Amino acid sequence: MTTAPTPSPTSTGARIEIAGLTKSFGDFRAVDDLSFVVEPGRVTGFLGPNGAGKTTTLRMLLGLIRPSAGSATIDGRPYAELDNPMQVVGSALEATSFHPGRTGRDHLRVLAAASRVPDARVDELLELVGIAAAAGKRAGTYSMGMRQRLGLAAALLGDPRVLILDEPANGLDPEGIRWLRGFLRHLSTEGKTILVSSHLLNEVEQTVDDVVIIANGRLVQQGPISTLHGDRRQLVRTTDPDRLGAALGEDGLLVVRTGDDSLEVTSEDARRIGDTALRLGLPIYELRESRSDLEDLFFQLTSAPENRNRNLGATEPTTDVQPGEVQ
Amino acid sequence: MGAAIRSELRKIFTTRLWWGMAIPIVLLAAGVTALLAATSEPEKANPDLGVPAMSQTQFAINTYTGAVGLGYLLTMCVGIVAIGSEYRHQTITSTFLAVPHRTRVMAAKVVALLVTGAFYGLLFVVAAVAAGAAVLSSRGLSTFGEGFAVPRALLLMLLVLGLWALIGLGAGILIPNQVAALMIMVGIAWILEPILGGVLASQDWGEGVSKFFPSRATQAMLSQQSTGINDSVPVERLSWPAGALVLLAYSALLAGIGTWLTTRRDVS
Repeated sequence: MTTAPTPSPTSTGARIEIAGLTKSFGDFRAVDDLSFVVEPGRVTGFLGPNGAGKTTTLRMLLGLIRPSAGSATIDGRPYAELDNPMQVVGSALEATSFHPGRTGRDHLRVLAAASRVPDARVDELLELVGIAAAAGKRAGTYSMGMRQRLGLAAALLGDPRVLILDEPANGLDPEGIRWLRGFLRHLSTEGKTILVSSHLLNEVEQTVDDVVIIANGRLVQQGPISTLHGDRRQLVRTTDPDRLGAALGEDGLLVVRTGDDSLEVTSEDARRIGDTALRLGLPIYELRESRSDLEDLFFQLTSAPENRNRNLGATEPTTDVQPGEVQ
Repeated sequence: MGAAIRSELRKIFTTRLWWGMAIPIVLLAAGVTALLAATSEPEKANPDLGVPAMSQTQFAINTYTGAVGLGYLLTMCVGIVAIGSEYRHQTITSTFLAVPHRTRVMAAKVVALLVTGAFYGLLFVVAAVAAGAAVLSSRGLSTFGEGFAVPRALLLMLLVLGLWALIGLGAGILIPNQVAALMIMVGIAWILEPILGGVLASQDWGEGVSKFFPSRATQAMLSQQSTGINDSVPVERLSWPAGALVLLAYSALLAGIGTWLTTRRDVS
């Protein structure tokens, strides 16, 4: 996790600004008056449940979908007005958008020609994302993980200042996810602005500096990921949680009973808790930093009644008509 | 614009489709032309109607251009697939990401298709002439006739094949669903339009309209010298440049409306 602002010395990232962005498909508001900013040189996680409007937002940012209202700009300009867009913004949307009969190398060569990138760069990137051996095979034979890597190579083709990745971890095996994390971290040290969407917080938690959380097309929360964490807490298990809790409380710590034999203590100092238990002669079965809060928070935020997933028919909130009400 | 065109040409020649399309074009051109050359006879003079016998030059032309009706359907399909496969495999997303100016993308596709249309057209012409000439010469008939009549007819056939490729591209831009575009256009060009054109032509009032139909405009381009045939029923025809302009107008209309819609369409 890199919580500190990391504008590297060679910071060249651009600023993404989403302002009042709205998209309606018929009666359905896929994106609803969404505004947020992605700061240059930072990795921003764009989070929300499936169907929250992440992909629609990214597609509007990339000029593929026309907004019903609002604007999405990169350094003040819409994507479509950038002179050589792939050298400013690299993006990987779905892993499926390759011609199955075209080889990975040829897919990149097609894009290289369109964005005036020398062909030598194609082989460089195939090497970089680790699919050089499969470059001559037709993309239809690629595994999901290889497609993601090819998509990433396409995004990086123009050595862009901004990277926009839509669910890049989808379909990756654990080894691939680990590789992706390291890769994104490496790219962020080059000072690129990175916006990476995901429906799973823990997928990007260790990689991102900032988060933007949306649900049902609306902004739920945004800010540095450290502000999401809140205060650090320790989980402790012992035989007599009441006694330990009382002693810690006298020490001025906030203590919450979380189970028959467990407490959660708002403190960053595990030693202090251990020392207190030792003083009381209580055994400790477990003492660790409580890390589930972020996931919980994400879940709470996105499942609050007003943010409940509109795509799940059973939980569709009845807006006007109450049960039993006769129209 | 140059970059976009280069990209389009790479797209065409990096899948197997380009030679997958070349095979049926060559086989069809050679096969049908050879069959025509082997089975048909130059028309005899008909003194009652004052029709002279068909010249060998004219017979050679009729033979070589005999398969063009199937040929232009194929080049039309080449045009449809040039854009249709992008929608089918969703590569249109990366195409528009690389070149967000959608009108520029479509213009680049037109230029690239001029190259491939000429390529397939040439393939068709060469295959038709090679097969047809072989059979004609084995029958002791003239293969290249007199003067420039045969080369001229072959060049016009090449133009017809290229123009139909453009019509296909226009239709493909207008109808993003590749399968639908192929079925609709083959249905129209092969069945509906010739029948409708024929029916209209037989009416006094329809005559002036039907000559602007694509198949009739195509005929007009290919049958200028055919003073010897079918003159028993004089049909009003366009001149060949007019015929070419009519075909060009169809492709421009389809591509124009299609491009206008494309610039407004969401790509998702």
